[in-house]
Amino acid sequence: MTLKNADRLSSVEAIKENFESRNYICNTQIATAVFLAYHLEKPILIEGPPGVGKTELAKTCAELLELECVRLQCYEGLDESKAIYEWKYGKQLLYTQVLKETLGEILDGATGLHESVVKLHEFGDVFFSEDFLEPRPLLKALHHDEGCVLLIDEVDKSDHEFESLLLEMLSDFQLSIPEIGTVKANPNKKPLVFLTSNNTREISDALKRRCLHLYIPFPDASLERQIVQARVPEITESLRDQLVTFIQELRDMDLKKVPAISETIDWARTLILLHTESLDPELVKQTLNVILKFQEDIETAEADVQNLTNKALKQA
Amino acid sequence: MDSTLVDFVKALRTAEIKVSPAETLDAMECLDLVGITDRNFLKDSLALVLSKTPEEKEAFDACFDRFFAFESFRQIGPDGEYTHDVDEGDAEAEGEQAEGEGSQGGSGEGQGGGAGGEEASESDSNEPLDTSLDPESPLGQLLLSGSRTELVVSMAEAGRTAEVNQIVVFTQKGLYTRKIMDAMGLKGLQDEIGMLQANEREGAGQIPQNHLAKRLTKARDHLREQVRDYVEKQFFLHADESGKQLREELLKKVKLSNLEKRNFKDVQEIVFKMAKKLVAIHSKRRKTYKRGQLDVRKTLRHNMQYDGMLFDLHWKAHKVDRPKVMCICDVSGSVSNYSRFLLMFLYSLADVIPKVRSFAFSSDLGEVTSLFQNSQVEEAMARTMRDYGNGSTDYGRMFMDFKNHCMDDVDNKTTIIILGDARNNFGDPKAEILREMYDKSKRVIWLNPEPRSSWTVGDAEMGKYGPACHQAEVCNSLTHLERVVSNLLKTAT
Repeated sequence: MTLKNADRLSSVEAIKENFESRNYICNTQIATAVFLAYHLEKPILIEGPPGVGKTELAKTCAELLELECVRLQCYEGLDESKAIYEWKYGKQLLYTQVLKETLGEILDGATGLHESVVKLHEFGDVFFSEDFLEPRPLLKALHHDEGCVLLIDEVDKSDHEFESLLLEMLSDFQLSIPEIGTVKANPNKKPLVFLTSNNTREISDALKRRCLHLYIPFPDASLERQIVQARVPEITESLRDQLVTFIQELRDMDLKKVPAISETIDWARTLILLHTESLDPELVKQTLNVILKFQEDIETAEADVQNLTNKALKQA
Repeated sequence: MDSTLVDFVKALRTAEIKVSPAETLDAMECLDLVGITDRNFLKDSLALVLSKTPEEKEAFDACFDRFFAFESFRQIGPDGEYTHDVDEGDAEAEGEQAEGEGSQGGSGEGQGGGAGGEEASESDSNEPLDTSLDPESPLGQLLLSGSRTELVVSMAEAGRTAEVNQIVVFTQKGLYTRKIMDAMGLKGLQDEIGMLQANEREGAGQIPQNHLAKRLTKARDHLREQVRDYVEKQFFLHADESGKQLREELLKKVKLSNLEKRNFKDVQEIVFKMAKKLVAIHSKRRKTYKRGQLDVRKTLRHNMQYDGMLFDLHWKAHKVDRPKVMCICDVSGSVSNYSRFLLMFLYSLADVIPKVRSFAFSSDLGEVTSLFQNSQVEEAMARTMRDYGNGSTDYGRMFMDFKNHCMDDVDNKTTIIILGDARNNFGDPKAEILREMYDKSKRVIWLNPEPRSSWTVGDAEMGKYGPACHQAEVCNSLTHLERVVSNLLKTAT
């Protein structure tokens, strides 16, 4: 398989560097996953807590390869007609109406039902051809001649039935449409598939079996510092270190929803907007709602703010 | 390498990582791509292909390190250098071997002069041995040639022919050590040593021969030790978990009241595992379709987009309801253990049966739902025991309490599970209340830990309660519990 700019995925180090230049800081596991996904032509199933950059990985990959990112957002009740294809019923209807007269001409001279039907058969299934097909993300991804990055987001939100629907796509990069036949991806330009899941329910073994499984945990302090630096370059070093230490401490607390990387970045931006130079408890209290999304959590954290801030100041 | 990979997959499976044959093939493909030069790269790659949950990834890490620890010391050069601080035990045994033989055989740098202090003090450091004679048996040659790599490879191969990965229990260690030694050609070596020693006894042997005999004996002993180590490692890799499985099977069948406290943790683990399985099976919410009944509203709504032409027909369906469970548990001494595990089971199934209300009694009935929802099972159980556990059992009283407080909440979707031995201390059984529950609820299931034969003996009132239950079953082991709960989920229509 050779995609455009594939040399950027030639080795794990190259991937890491290229991602870094696009402001996506990743560890070796993530880079290895992308490397294998490309070379083994396998989809990656990415799991992990919300906000650690699962979706971002797919987007960055698309950017890196300069390919289009086709995205399918999963939700409960998502089905074939929204994910793969749909017939353009309206168009079919309109055409039959418009073509009524032509139909008369075609059938001219045919006597009896049998002959008419035979005559009609000569024209094949015109109304069930690709012209009347509305491609949805999965089919679109297969049709891309240049290859593309297919992102199936939050696959755990979809129904069980939909998961089974994906299997054919994931293992063989093909889809079967009863009226037309099997649509295959260009064997040299198969789409690079990313699936993300927040683990709200167990993904079936059949799906897991077909994918590489990548678990992205919360980053450790040094990685998170790098990420903040890359995403919010205008931050001062001391503030960055304090901020990251604070967040890392916060993650150890018993919270309903611990702050993720995206919240760290938001917070960093907030602090810069407020022209902060170093953390102080009062300010932290006022901006806690940027990193914590539950009132309960905020209350729990508020009690400890003084302590945590001191710790962060000391360590940084 | 392929067969090594298959062995590794087998080791993973014993460590409870589910690896399908297709994934093994993927792993091989991945191996071709990645190569074996970079250990961490290989580890990351295989982890991506073979382990599919965070827990599995953890297990994978441990398993990889254990399995390939052996490989890493295979790579040590044959020159007997001692710098590698790989696995202490094996590397040492291994080092000793090559060290002793290597220095004697070729380099001639004085006996035991290396770092192998332990072995230096052992035997032959004092008397210089003549090394002019070479052994005849293949194993002897291999041992004295000093090539550790070859030796280890040959050991691994022998291990494979002896099928050491089939080892099941600890006591088989001797057997497999023996088998591997045999496969490596121990017999030839023994014969040679025997012959040499016989010569020595008769006084016919020359000095070089005597020395050769000594060297061979020593080498053989070292080898044995090393093979034993190898087998032990294999045992931990392949059989440790299967031993655990054996124990689990046993625990599943044992009577819950006979369980000892030290087993509770294991049993709890098993309960969670069983529950997880049941959740996986039943988490899909089924719909049953009434074929042939058109759902007009739904059809019209869906076909608006086609100008009201009815292309897309929808049929009436109704969702299969999750069971609403009320669980009444006897927590008096004799049956408390059963109650503990039933409750543990039910609350582990929170995903598929979200509405469990539980009650505990020995005489007074009390609701413990919130207790179990808000705290750990162990703690909740302990508090339940403390609050309700003492006092003699009085089923009549329990039914009265139930009628007064909860009867209104029972509807035709409720399943009531009663767990108890029905031993009422000759009090009034109040079976008519149970009858009322029977009429109002969807199902009443009575689980009795006692064998059926003693259900009506003495003060047991099962004879009166039984007819007022949809189902009355003996339930005294985890297997029984699992079956009951599984039925509960299956027939929840």
